[in-house]
Amino acid sequence: MNALAPPKDQLAILVIDDELIVRESLGAWLADDGYRVETAESGAAALRLASSTRYDVAFIDIQMPKMDGLELQKRLLAANPSMTTIVMTAYASVDTAVRALKEGAYDYIVKPFDPDELLHLVERARERCALQSENERLRQTLDAHAEPEELVGDSPAMKKLLEIVRTVGPTDTTVLVHGESGTGKELVARAIHASSPRRYAPLVCVHCGALAEGVLESELFGHEKGAFTGAAYHHKGKFEQADGGTIFLDEIGDISPKVQVELLRVLEEKRVTRVGGKTPIAVDFRVVAATHQDLSELVAQGRFREDLFYRLDVVRVEIPPLRERPGDVPVLARHFLHRLQTSMNKKDMHFSDAALEALAAHDWPGNVRELQNAVERAAVLGHPPELDVDDLPLDVRRAEAAPGAAARSLADVERRHIERVLAETEWNVTRAAAVLDVDRGTLYNKIAKYGLERPEHAR
Amino acid sequence: MRDEPPAAGVLAIDLLPMTGVDDATAGALLVRLSRRLALPCRLLPRWEPSDLQPVAGRDQLDADRLLQRLEQDQGDDATLRLGVTAHDLGSPLFTFFFGLARHGGRAALVSLARLRPEFYGLPADDDRTLHRAVLEALHELGHVLGLPHCRDARCVMRFSTSVEAIDVRGQRFCDECASRLPEGVLSGASRGTG
Repeated sequence: MNALAPPKDQLAILVIDDELIVRESLGAWLADDGYRVETAESGAAALRLASSTRYDVAFIDIQMPKMDGLELQKRLLAANPSMTTIVMTAYASVDTAVRALKEGAYDYIVKPFDPDELLHLVERARERCALQSENERLRQTLDAHAEPEELVGDSPAMKKLLEIVRTVGPTDTTVLVHGESGTGKELVARAIHASSPRRYAPLVCVHCGALAEGVLESELFGHEKGAFTGAAYHHKGKFEQADGGTIFLDEIGDISPKVQVELLRVLEEKRVTRVGGKTPIAVDFRVVAATHQDLSELVAQGRFREDLFYRLDVVRVEIPPLRERPGDVPVLARHFLHRLQTSMNKKDMHFSDAALEALAAHDWPGNVRELQNAVERAAVLGHPPELDVDDLPLDVRRAEAAPGAAARSLADVERRHIERVLAETEWNVTRAAAVLDVDRGTLYNKIAKYGLERPEHAR
Repeated sequence: MRDEPPAAGVLAIDLLPMTGVDDATAGALLVRLSRRLALPCRLLPRWEPSDLQPVAGRDQLDADRLLQRLEQDQGDDATLRLGVTAHDLGSPLFTFFFGLARHGGRAALVSLARLRPEFYGLPADDDRTLHRAVLEALHELGHVLGLPHCRDARCVMRFSTSVEAIDVRGQRFCDECASRLPEGVLSGASRGTG
């Protein structure tokens, strides 16, 4: 027996049968076994009882005059979808019992009942009730966390963003999130998923920019066994994994023209064909895509398909960079510190006023992610409980030393630019070197020269 | 939800042998049951109502009707009747019963048919059959006196749907079940599973 199963006397069972002998006999049998039992002689009587009492399990006779068992089951389940229904049938109407199963019955039992079979059936129903209660409890816990608590900020821009997330979240609309690297595009996707009816189904994230074309195809659409060298087993793609839920396509602007075509077809048809496969598989998903690039500019340059762009750009969510909302910096810093405090089991950690000023003065090229790392570094390496300017990273301290001023020397400008590009490419040195138009060796030398360190999240 | 009061003021158990239960078996059963109960147990004359109802299409007596009949024949409110039959018991709703009783009722039924090893193709063993019959009688009398099934595997009120389960479950009333029975029903031999 499942340890979670409720005591028998907490399980309410309703027995519905037009035959008195069945009501009395089964009712007594279940009551002897310790269950709370009530009986009803008709569908109408059962519905009356169920309107005032929540029953966990119902034994329903299939063949009753006026309202038959199937109709009654339908109405009982409509009023209480978590009710466990068991239909009682004679051998002659097993076909009807099978129909009842298809319409939501947990099981059926044929009259006359074998006591052993009935005993096990009731025990299994009790376990199911326990699992449903647990499921309900977990859902309530999930609902409590569905608020986009990680999207923190008091600025008008953030308030507007949160409003859009709350409005668009519960719909099935495709959302395109635009923001610089580190602004929290995935957090927005998570908040949208968490506030949607799909929240109990998976949110599957794909970082399209990090994968080569062939790998991305296989990741997104799956592959059949033998589709290519190394495809030893069939593989479910991310779209299939996201069935019923949401797929988050990050850095959508980085995908190749070939994958763009395939992606467009999947979005239009809601069917995927695995690489090496022939049969399309129907999938039910919602798309949230994100990019740090200007997709309309990419369309103008012919690097991104216009039809795919319009398919994705249904509702656009802009995440402003942190430098445009400096008022959010102290709020975010306190939020991250509070969270760290809990995970590090430390108390009363806080920033000094000077430290908060220094944080607000920095322009945060790596955005929220960079701020989060700076706070973590201060909490781990600093001198709690009060974290001061000296506990902050060097570049934040520099900003504080020259408030409002941009970097002055050529070397400073170069360092800041390299830092920014590395942040944008998530420390992909090959891509950063391509953006900076230097070779990788040169970039490595510059990284060493300026003592740049790869942040934790990019490792 | 059933909440009937247990029978109170019971002074004796009357054992009524029915079809197929010979005098020797009835006597042995009476002796064994007397050891387990503090109440006086009496052997009554054979009870053979002429209008016993079989279950349609099965070689079984209808236990529901038989129990009803046994209760109707009840003359003395201070006694509980225990009908013992060799016939297999069933009902239109259940394929078989080892025994049957009603909460707050005045009578219980026990069938020896499925308690006999012969029913399962094993050699006859009268001692084992009697042992099982006593346990089943105590279980059904427990229901009459208001006890539901018990979760304690060592308690005689544990629900059993097979003869193996009867053999495995305890032979006494657990402390909780014993405490819920009226005073003066059980002998020391039937109390406590610890």
